[in-house]
Amino acid sequence: MKDLFPNRWWTLLWACCLLALAVLPFVANAYVVGIGLTVLMWIALTQSWCVLSKMTGYVSLGHVVFYGIGAYLVVVTWQEVPLPLAIVGAGLLAALVAALVGLPVLRVRGPYFVILTFGLAELVKYTITWIESASGMASRILFGAPDLPVIYFSMFALALLSVAMLTWVSSSRFGHGLRSLRENEEAAETLGVPVVRYKLIAFVLGAAIPGMVGAIMALRSTYFVVGQVFDPMISVTVIAMAILGGGDNARGPLLGVIFLSLLSELLWVNAPLLYLVILGAILMVFVLVVPNGLLGLFERKPVPVVERPPTDSAA
Amino acid sequence: MTVLDILLSGQLLFAALVTGSLYALIALGLNLVYGTMRMLNVAHGDVVMLGAYGAYWGFTLLDIPPLLAAPVVAGLGGLLGWALYRGIFQRMLSGGSGAGNNRLESNSLLLFFGLSIILQNATALVFTPNNRAYNYLDTVYHFGGVAMTGNRLAALLVAGTACIAVAVFLSRSVFGLATRAVIERREAAHIVGVDVDYVQRLSFILGFGSAALAGVLISMLGQFSPFSGFPFTIAGFIVIILGGLGNTMAGLLAALLLGVIETYGVALTSANMRSVLLYGAFVAALLLFPNGLFAGRAKSR
Repeated sequence: MKDLFPNRWWTLLWACCLLALAVLPFVANAYVVGIGLTVLMWIALTQSWCVLSKMTGYVSLGHVVFYGIGAYLVVVTWQEVPLPLAIVGAGLLAALVAALVGLPVLRVRGPYFVILTFGLAELVKYTITWIESASGMASRILFGAPDLPVIYFSMFALALLSVAMLTWVSSSRFGHGLRSLRENEEAAETLGVPVVRYKLIAFVLGAAIPGMVGAIMALRSTYFVVGQVFDPMISVTVIAMAILGGGDNARGPLLGVIFLSLLSELLWVNAPLLYLVILGAILMVFVLVVPNGLLGLFERKPVPVVERPPTDSAA
Repeated sequence: MTVLDILLSGQLLFAALVTGSLYALIALGLNLVYGTMRMLNVAHGDVVMLGAYGAYWGFTLLDIPPLLAAPVVAGLGGLLGWALYRGIFQRMLSGGSGAGNNRLESNSLLLFFGLSIILQNATALVFTPNNRAYNYLDTVYHFGGVAMTGNRLAALLVAGTACIAVAVFLSRSVFGLATRAVIERREAAHIVGVDVDYVQRLSFILGFGSAALAGVLISMLGQFSPFSGFPFTIAGFIVIILGGLGNTMAGLLAALLLGVIETYGVALTSANMRSVLLYGAFVAALLLFPNGLFAGRAKSR
């Protein structure tokens, strides 16, 4: 927990955010609630992406594939399977896909892994597009989706779950194993870290949440187009948020989400091209100039180390 | 037409040859940058797209025939490569960590990815996201029952010549020797006095220039849009994964193979399958060679 709440200012910040997001549907109009929902979606996606990619350095450019699979499952089983079951099923299906492709995919290292995950997501997108057009489905509309507050609080739960998961992973023995393989995979393996198993577990853990997020967002848009739920720019936004925030705990990516959600909300719908130019520029600038992200900027000055029992700082 | 008719038609073979030669040219530039710097330039296809726009505007606004504009557009592409190298990548590569470091490679990939997104969307902002095409050299010639349009013949000839020229340059010139030395062993090449920075700079210029040239040729053949560059990046990757590093002949064969797979695959199924085939081949190639390209050499990094 110390990762998420290093001092009282951070605790205060998160408490305010949590409170604001929790009361939002009771005080705001549908438009503002919609923005809150988008913020929660990005939190859940970014935090779940970090479990594998921030912790191990295996940067995945294919996170959207789990989101798309989840959305597709809900759309295909619409009104044939009870909705809660379909949403949980979406998470399980995404995790299953991750488990199946994980072993061969995670053998691929460094930049090849990055580009492979992108290719894999695109392959799934084009395959499903082809299946849909072969079966005569250009797009689908969902009738009778639940109300916005129900969608909102489901997403709220997922966002909390994802933050809790990353916080746990980041401070656990498992997380330290993941970090060690990021620094030097061969050395970690020699020292007895079960690298293959750890990578696979992280991949599967990180896949379930975007599966459910995709399922819930399909209910929100009610209009299903394959190219939209498998849009690679969703993956890119997630990476930009995580890199913008910095750090390998839950805190940095949350900062990134706060900063970029606003931008994506303002521009994605009205000026998508401009939004993507800015996103690309942010990606380049942060990778090049600020590799440790906003968190690194804020915490650059080393705090003078005072020798005293650690209980003092556990505010 | 039966399946056998499709497979035996000279028309398809010609189409596969044209596609393959363009892929070979694209892969050559990608290979040069990857080989000397171990950086995967995912924006390579977007440079191809920019080259296509260069030829398009030259032809529609100024009436310059694309084949005459080609050297100019290629030069502009090279200039872009030089600017990017001086502005961004030179500093990165001379940093303490050096090439061959996995983290650096992933970072450079994200940089190129950001660049790719910027190029695509900025082009769409400036020139609108619409498809573009123009008619040029569309007379049909017949050779032994195979109909060939002039622009396809020209594309095949120019791409083939450019590939051979670069290959000869790399195998005969001093620069080529230095390049191959850097590709084999960067550190050792530096120790024996190869100007690694010079080789990298020229590789960037050559890589970007050849991509822009490929773009000019592609613009003569059909429609393109600001977003049609990325599939060429993927095609280039497939070719260098299958073909090998610094091995020009194998690269050429791999490019022709990919041209055949794509052309025949689409002919046997439907046009919707093109992307599925391309990404399928890409994923399969990477899974078969999981250590990235040329695992045998990876030890020297």
